[in-house]
Amino acid sequence: MSTHTLTLTLNGEAVEASVPARRLLADFLRDDLGLSGTKRGCETGICGACSVLMDGRVVKSCLSLAVQARGRAITTIEGLSQGETLHPVQESFMQCGGLQCGYCTPGMVIASCSLLKDNPHPTVDEVRHGLGGNLCRCTGYAQIIESVLHAAEMTAEKPHGN
Amino acid sequence: MQNFEFLEPATVAEASRMLVDLGEDCRVIAGGTALLLAMRQRMLTPSHLVSVGHLAGLRGISVDAQGWLNIGALSTHADVAASPLIRAQWPMLASMAARVANPQVRHQGTIGGNLCYADPATDPPCCLLALDAWVVLGSARGERLLPLADFLVDYYTTALEAHELLTAIRVPPLAADAQGLYTRHLRTAAEHRPLASVALLVRRRGTACSEARIAIGASTPIPTRIPRAEAFLAGRTVTPAVADQAAAIVAADITPMDDARGDAQYRRHSVHVVARRSLLLLFGLPQE
Repeated sequence: MSTHTLTLTLNGEAVEASVPARRLLADFLRDDLGLSGTKRGCETGICGACSVLMDGRVVKSCLSLAVQARGRAITTIEGLSQGETLHPVQESFMQCGGLQCGYCTPGMVIASCSLLKDNPHPTVDEVRHGLGGNLCRCTGYAQIIESVLHAAEMTAEKPHGN
Repeated sequence: MQNFEFLEPATVAEASRMLVDLGEDCRVIAGGTALLLAMRQRMLTPSHLVSVGHLAGLRGISVDAQGWLNIGALSTHADVAASPLIRAQWPMLASMAARVANPQVRHQGTIGGNLCYADPATDPPCCLLALDAWVVLGSARGERLLPLADFLVDYYTTALEAHELLTAIRVPPLAADAQGLYTRHLRTAAEHRPLASVALLVRRRGTACSEARIAIGASTPIPTRIPRAEAFLAGRTVTPAVADQAAAIVAADITPMDDARGDAQYRRHSVHVVARRSLLLLFGLPQE
């Protein structure tokens, strides 16, 4: 079946790849490129563990074909930190204990980045709605919401690229 | 995921010819959020996908000289929600778009794809029906315009012909005294598929209603206008009792779906409650 050549920007770097049409973006990232920070969870668009940023906005990579990423800028959890310096959202999740088993965390962090980009000072309710596409099976939502609110405060003091 | 060919036409005409040549075995993909889910669950197994994601001329949101809103079919729900034009002039549409599914779907799913998929448990069709929207269908043979009410035929079925693509949505201007509200009932806060939705568009001065449009969605196979309730409200002063009577007419006149997500009686009751509350809210009356 058809194979497609695509170029995209991945975590700030140009990538060229050849993929079969059926390759999902999640599988392309994990299996072809070895970026296993993006998780496969439900694989049916419910849980949000596979969330990545496409041109700065959160999408589910289990509901996207790799070929649809042609010409787009994809950011995965691996692309958020700058060297040893964590992204403020990552830092906040650590400080506020916004994770238990950690499986949903990359998706939660990515969705939080998208939310804060559109709404740098969200209310609690806006955070809840902004994370409405991500599930935490440990049900640690209180600390996750606290982490996002804390990140908003930190970002207000020190703006960050992503 | 099964194998398929992924085709990338450059124009609407080229896409239209591909759709005719490939027939039943192919599907159009725009954002892909609904289609890929259906394919992953093996409800659909197309041999070919015709990708329209990169077609020129299907994006952009504008208002023409006559005041009609034109939404390119590839506009995402997030584009609709964020559009300053829509927020200023059709706020019920922007507010609806801001609530569709979840952020991930809003950033990737398109309003054109949503209408073509014709899933009953979604928000845009009901809201656009109350707004008297039209759809523009393009093909290699030209273009035709169709009222949304004629485009939505049945459960997951539209009037789209094999050679056609939905290219734009047009919404007429609202009267100066028009005010709208889109409300829905979700079984749980975490579920994104509404069980009942009510789109109201009224012309009013205070509680005096001169005209009303009521569309019900999610609980019926396709969104449905309720003419008897619209006629009941026209020319009436809306009180809590009037709102309840109108809502009762709405609930009586729908033919609700009856399935695992909600039986007919439950859906009818949900519609009654949501319709009453929406009317009270829209006319500035206290909720019971």
